[in-house]
Formats: sequence, structure tokens, C-alpha cells
Amino acid sequence: MSRDAEREHANFERFARGETIPVEVGEIERELGALWKRASSAGDTHAGAAVSRAALWNLVIPTRGAGALAKTKALVDEIAQGVPVRAITLCLDDPGDVNAGALAGGGGLSATIESNVVSQPGGARVVYSEEITLRGPAGAETHFGALVRALQIPGVPTAALWMDAAMPVALLTRELLPVTDRLIVDTGSCVRPPHLYDLQRLAAQAHPLPVADLGWLRLGSLRLLFAGLFDPPVGGAPLRRATRLSVRHRPRGDLSALLLVSWLGQMLGWRPLRSVQTSDGGLRFDFTRDDGARGDAEPEVQAYLVPAEGACDASGVLAIELAVDGRDDYVVCRTAMDQASVQLPIAPAKAVKLDSYSDAELCVAALGPRGRDPLFAKCLAYAGGLWALEPQTTVSQR
Amino acid sequence: MKTLSEESLLLPNPLREGLVEERIPEPAAMVIFGASGDLARRKLLPALYSLTRDRLLPARFAVLGFGRATLTDDAFREEMRRGCEEFARRRPVDPALWAAFARNVFYQQGAYDDPAAFLRLKVRLEEIEHTLGLPGNRVFYLSTPPSAFAPVIRSLGHANLAPKPAPGQPFSRVIIEKPFGIDLQTARALNTEVHDILAEQQIYRIDHYLGKETVQNLLVFRFANGIFEPLWNNHFVDHVQITGSETVGVEARGGYFEQAGSLRDMVQNHLLQVLSLAAMEPPVAFEADAVRDEKLKVLKALRFIPESDFEHQVVRAQYAAGSIGGQTVPGYRSEPDVSPRSTTETFVALKLFIDSWRWAGVPFYLRSGKRMPKRVTEIAIQFKEAPHLLFGKRGETIRPNVLSIRIQPDEGIALNFGSKLPGPAMEIAPVSMEFRYGSSFGVEPPEAYERLLLDCLLGDGTLFTRGDEVEASWSWVSRIHQRWAAEVAAGRTTLDSYPAGSWGPEAADRMLAADGRAWRLP
Ligand SMILES: NC(=O)c1ccc[n+]([C@@H]2O[C@H](COP(=O)([O-])OP(=O)(O)OC[C@H]3O[C@@H](n4cnc5c(N)ncnc54)[C@H](OP(=O)(O)O)[C@@H]3O)[C@@H](O)[C@H]2O)c1
Repeated sequence: MSRDAEREHANFERFARGETIPVEVGEIERELGALWKRASSAGDTHAGAAVSRAALWNLVIPTRGAGALAKTKALVDEIAQGVPVRAITLCLDDPGDVNAGALAGGGGLSATIESNVVSQPGGARVVYSEEITLRGPAGAETHFGALVRALQIPGVPTAALWMDAAMPVALLTRELLPVTDRLIVDTGSCVRPPHLYDLQRLAAQAHPLPVADLGWLRLGSLRLLFAGLFDPPVGGAPLRRATRLSVRHRPRGDLSALLLVSWLGQMLGWRPLRSVQTSDGGLRFDFTRDDGARGDAEPEVQAYLVPAEGACDASGVLAIELAVDGRDDYVVCRTAMDQASVQLPIAPAKAVKLDSYSDAELCVAALGPRGRDPLFAKCLAYAGGLWALEPQTTVSQR
Repeated sequence: MKTLSEESLLLPNPLREGLVEERIPEPAAMVIFGASGDLARRKLLPALYSLTRDRLLPARFAVLGFGRATLTDDAFREEMRRGCEEFARRRPVDPALWAAFARNVFYQQGAYDDPAAFLRLKVRLEEIEHTLGLPGNRVFYLSTPPSAFAPVIRSLGHANLAPKPAPGQPFSRVIIEKPFGIDLQTARALNTEVHDILAEQQIYRIDHYLGKETVQNLLVFRFANGIFEPLWNNHFVDHVQITGSETVGVEARGGYFEQAGSLRDMVQNHLLQVLSLAAMEPPVAFEADAVRDEKLKVLKALRFIPESDFEHQVVRAQYAAGSIGGQTVPGYRSEPDVSPRSTTETFVALKLFIDSWRWAGVPFYLRSGKRMPKRVTEIAIQFKEAPHLLFGKRGETIRPNVLSIRIQPDEGIALNFGSKLPGPAMEIAPVSMEFRYGSSFGVEPPEAYERLLLDCLLGDGTLFTRGDEVEASWSWVSRIHQRWAAEVAAGRTTLDSYPAGSWGPEAADRMLAADGRAWRLP
């Protein structure tokens, strides 16, 4: 066997096993083409079934630093199990990162390719998708835009997964958004609500692209359970007479809690009047249902964000409680990681399962129809409006 | 504890808005009649379990099995668990999830025509609903042999278990298994019985073929893509072939099959449903009645086969001994519970026409059989040849374009076309562009029953057959049965035979050969 043939054979073996293969930046497409061609002719003997190469999305993920890259790659592996994608990961090295796969390439960039395999229960491999990783030192982002444009599979939509606030935002807004069909963000990774403004700005810049938020999707099960309380036989009447809402949340879950308040405010037509800091370190928002009400009007509904501790998923939300006419409580309260208790005045409290999803499952959902939820944009804007109310300094007692 | 005010019953739930994408039904109870049977264990409970696993059922949901067999709740749960372990799409069964699911699974013993048993059923159902906080939404699944359909519906009526729909009231829906009648007369009679008690919108006549992903995709394929519909007519389509073949024989159901035959078992329902979806005009909306109105028009436009052409357009046959998958298998007449002089067909091939502007002159060839070499259901649209044969001049034939839509297994769509072989000469070879669900989306489509149970819970009847459709298809099919009955009475039966493991009798090949065509090898 010649050296080239040997290298090719070794690369193919690694490719079929899903291992990382370093390639030259300018040769990515050619190398992938050769490996797939070989895989399809070797399919019957190698993997026990013909090879199907599939991609429903180009998924571009900018990230920074070796640690974040490792997490991103694990995430991509898991996403590929749910939806075949061509993943293009763009990584800027942090000072001190060892870029082991680096080959001398344009702009100090290095590239690797690998396959992701979905197996059937019996072990037969059914679908292969591919993952391309581009790495470079700070400044290399100037090359990323052109590389993404060259590597997008034509005719397949592109999503940008923007989760790493350490990446230069211009890469997203100038280079990626113009060639992107869907933007995916994660409000759950925003440390404080002020980051909400950044997200709102991003969503505005992305307009009219659909923006999917993993944080919003994470709240899906809770919203569903809470909404279910007002299905027949209860119906929507109590919602019109709501007087107090509390969302208990872990300290880092204040943005999720704010989104939940915004959801109810948006759906039930509450007009924000003011926000007030509470003695327990939380916030209270006052609302009216009257469109013509003045800013100093008496509140008809008060919503509290209450910091608390307890077992919780990544959303950080522990409970939603809605009081109607000042007395009947409609409550969904997390009792364990995947359990909740629901209460409503017409039935005894009941334990139910409260699903939580991995980030990869949420990404798969974000690539599906749930990633086009127009309600998210409305609630995000509403949340921005709430946050913009300067909290009054008078400390209120709950 | 509070009671409900009249006012609250009528107000819709604004928080559901935007959550519709989830397609989560309202909390409900499902009562399965004939719960000790094969279908419940193999299909229904596994489908409900898989839906739970995929988080598509409401958190508050109960299943109540009903039947004559005496079973405890626990014995019924255990039996259903075994069914799920063997047949659920989502396997292995997750013990914690099963435990939570099975807590809301119950069994109630009773006879199908016993009013007292139905009153007990009602009390039990109300108890369960009260304990689980269910609002009284109910689905009744008739998974019994057809002889019990009418008694069950009458008993539901007597016990007032399935009141007609009223605004603000919980729903009651009834799923009826196939076969819906055995000819036009019995189907009409059953429709009359059913309509005595239920409104048409409460009735969900199931045809599990319609729950298959590719069958639904047929509508998407035709009406969401701009390029195919302009070709979907007699200007471009030469003919259409619809095949529904099985490798199995009659297995343990010889007694049933003797009364049914392939025309009843496969063609009247599944293949004619598939045909109507393939041939219908675009509906005004993707809504139950709009879609079913268009399907009905196709069924009504099926030309009755004239007496003079009967022998050229209808072939029936029975399998003889042969070999399937390397195993020797007996002929139909040697199967258990089958008469050695049986004239029941295990294969039928039909040539039919749809009298509409779109399909004038385009033959549709349908065939269905047991003990065929492969299990396949597909629709193949064969297009006319290119008008001017630039390339086929030296006598070699260029194969026509075929669009094949595979319903099972390996759901997908393939388009065959000719392509130039690489090289200096102008040689043309057929190639295929394929789309396969499994490989394009990386996931296997859900089971048909999952989709259909969910649709019924959501009140979406699009993929169920309406009463008038059933009657229209029986009206067409019954004429063939009448003609066969007359042949038998006259002592001259046109029944061919084919060896198990073949694609049917020679007569079926001759039927197409007479038109200068041939069956595809699917
Ligand atoms: N099995 C399938 O894969 C399949 C596929 C498509 C359609 N179907 C249709 O679905 C329905 C149920 O199918 P299945 O296979 O579950 O039927 P099955 O096992 O023969 O019967 C289901 C149950 O119905 C009850 N039953 C009521 N009257 C009966 C009678 N006269 N003879 C025997 N049992 C009677 C029995 O329970 P108790 O004795 O406890 O009352 C029996 O366990 C049928 O209409 C069938 O045509 C079945």
C-alpha cells in the first residue's frame, strides 16, 4: 500500500468509528466527499448496513476556549442522535489552549472532521451526519464567515446556535445572520436579566428570522402543566380574576421567572405599572387590566419574583402560584427534579411528572416547529419592558 | 371544595394559545372494549405507552379495559406490560414510566349487551374520573370482533355514556375498528345503528393505513410542492399501480379470512383509501371534512366495472403451496379453518377507472395478495414517455419515469429517471433519486395507531373514514362480490391459483400485458 493509500485507509477507519480527523482547512469538502464515497462502497461490509449520509440543517456553533469546545462537541454528538445536521463549530482559542490538531493553515486555523452515527436498537447504523470543527487564535474570526459560507450544504437551512457570550457578537451579526435561517439562543445561560437587553437587541437584528430560546423551551413543561389547570372543567374564567402571581425561583433563575410573568402578562392582557424591590431580595410588578389607566393607578394584579431554594432543573423555576379573587390558589410546584404537585380549588393536590430536557433535546426541539414560536418574541419584548421599569426604592413587605 | 360555575365552563383557556404546536390533548379517559384481545395487547396499549414516553398524552389520562374475561386490574396491567415489552416502538419499557402509566390503567368485567354491566361501567368510570381529576372527556375504543360493534354502541346509548356533543361539555368519541360491514347493506345498517346514538363527528372509523406517515406525506408531497401537482393528471400520467402485498398467509385467522377474502380485507378499506388520497382534488383546507369530501368524490367517481369487461379487469386467485423465505408453506385450502373447496380469494388484481376530468383514460391497477415474496405497500405513478424519443433510436428502450411512494416498510419516495452513462457513447441507464424517512430524518416514523389515537383525542377526524366514504367504497366493491357470488351459484368460478412466494397468477400479468404494460417489481 502506498503512503497515501495507507493514510486514506487509516482515516477511513477513524471516520467510520466517529473519531476526529485533522484535515487542511481548504480540503474539508474534498476529504469529506472522499470519506463518504468510501463509506458508501464499504457500507455493506463495514457497518452492516448501507450508509446514509443525511443533513436537515447546517448548524453553526461559535464557541470560545478548549473547555467550551469540548462541551459543544459533546452537545453536537447528542443533537445528531435526534436530528441529522452538518455541524460547523467555530472555536477561538483562549491564550494557553493547546490546539493539538493544528496544521499550518491560512490565518493559523486548523480543521477537523468527524462523523456522527445514529444506530438502530439492534446496533445497525442507519444515519451518518458530519461535524466540522474550525479552530484558531483570537482574530481568526475574520475567516469564519467566509468558511461558513463555503461549507454550508446548499438547499439545507442553516441555524446559528449562539450560547457563548464570550464570542465577538459581530461574528454573529455581520457574518452569520445574513446566511442563517434560524437563531437559537439560551436565556438560561444569561447570568442576570440585564443580558436580556443584549438578547433583545440580537432578536431585533435577527428579525425577521425566527429566534428560538432554549430557556423558553425549558419552561415548556411548566407552562403546559400550568395552562392545563385552566382546561375544562375549570375554563379560563379564573384567569380573568387573577389578583396575585408568585413565581418562586432559584437566584439564577430570575430571567426564567421574568419570562413566565411576561407570558402570563402577555396572554392575560396585563399592563405594567411599576416595579418594586421586595425585602426578600425579589421584585414585585404591579399591573392593571385597564388600557387607559394612568401610571399611578391602583394595581389590579401583583406579580412577585421570589428567590428561594429547592430541587430544580436548569430553568431555575420552583413554583408558579396564582391567586384568584385574593383566595383560590392555582399552583404548580416542583417537588423534585422531575416531579411537581398541582393544586386547584376544585380537586385535591396531585403529584405529576414534570419533564425536564437535556440541552441537546432542547436544541433538537429548537430546530423543529417549536423553534418558530412567535410567542417567545412577544414575551421577550414584554420582559424587556418589565425590566426597563426602574424598581422603586421603597422596600415593600410581601 | 369549590364547584364549577356555569360561566367558567364556557370560557376558553387563553394560556393554551401558542401551546397548540404541542398537540397535547385535554385530560381524558379511554375505555377499550375487547381489552383482553390481540389488538389491545399488540397495538393499543403499546401505542398509548409510546405516546406517554414521547410526552404526547396529557398528564391526566386513564385507560379502562372492558371485556367478558374476568381479570383483575393487576392481571390486566401485567398482560399489557408484556404487550408493550414485545411491541411498543419505545423499548425497552422504562420501569418508572410504566409504573406511573399503569397506575391509571384499570379493567372492568362485563358483557357487551348487558345494560347492568354498562351501568357498572359508568359508575366505575366516574369514580376513576373523580379520583384522577378528569373532566369527563371519554374515548370508547371498539376493539371487539365486528359482531359486538352494534351491541356495544346500543349499550353506550342506554347508559347515556356517549351523549351528543354540546358546547362547553366534555367530549365522548367512539373509535370503531375495521371491518365496517361486510358489504353495502351491512355497512349501511351499521351506519344507521351508530347514527341512532352518535353524531357523525363523534365517530372515528379507523383505517390504520391512514395513520402511516407516508400516506399523510402523500398530501404534503402533492399539495405542498409546486412541481408535482401540474403533472398529476392524464396529460402526463400513463397509469398508476397500487400494490399491497403480504408474505403471511391466513395464520390463525382462517375462519375470519374465509368470510372476508382479499377484496374485503385489503381493497375495500386500505387500498381504496390510499387510491382516494392519491387521486383526489386539492381540498379547500387541511381539515377533516374538506379532505374527506374530496376523497368521497373519488370513490363516487369509480366507474363500475361493466359486465362485458369483468374478466379483463378483475382477477382473483388463491395461493397454492410454495416457498417463502426459504420455508415450504402450505396452500390456502390446507390452512386451518379453511374449507378444502374454498373459493375465497387470497389475491385480487383490478383495473379501474376514475371518471373525472383529471383522470379520464388513466387506468389504476390495484393488487393485493397474501403469501407474496415481499411485504410491500406502494403507489407507483408511471409517467408517459417523452414525446419525441431523441435517444432511444437504436431500438433500446428507455424506461419511463416512475414515482413510487412506499407506504411500508422503509417509508419513502423514489423517482426513477434515465441518466447518461459516463463515457463517450450516448448510453442511457435508469437511476433513482430516493428519499427514505429513516435516513433523512434520522428517526423512524411513529406507529400508525399512535398517530390515530392522538388525533382522536384531539378531535381531528381527517385520518378517519367518514360514513359516506365507507358506503361509497362498499357500493363499488359489493358489485364485484355480487358477480362472484353469481359465478359460484352458476357453478363456474374464475378462481386462479399462484404458488406461495410468487407475485400472483399469470392472469394478473396478462391483464396488464393486454394493455402493453407490466406490473412493477416493488
Ligand atoms: N389484531 C390486529 O392486529 C387487528 C388489526 C386490524 C384490525 N383489527 C380489528 O380490531 C378488532 C379487535 O381485534 P382483535 O384481534 O383484538 O380481536 P380478538 O382478539 O378476536 O377479540 C378481541 C376481544 O373481543 C372480545 N369479544 C367480543 N365478542 C367476541 C366474539 N364473538 N368472539 C371472540 N371475542 C369476542 C373478546 O374479549 P372478551 O372475551 O374478554 O369479551 C376478545 O378478547 C377486530 O374488529 C379486528 O378486525 C385487528
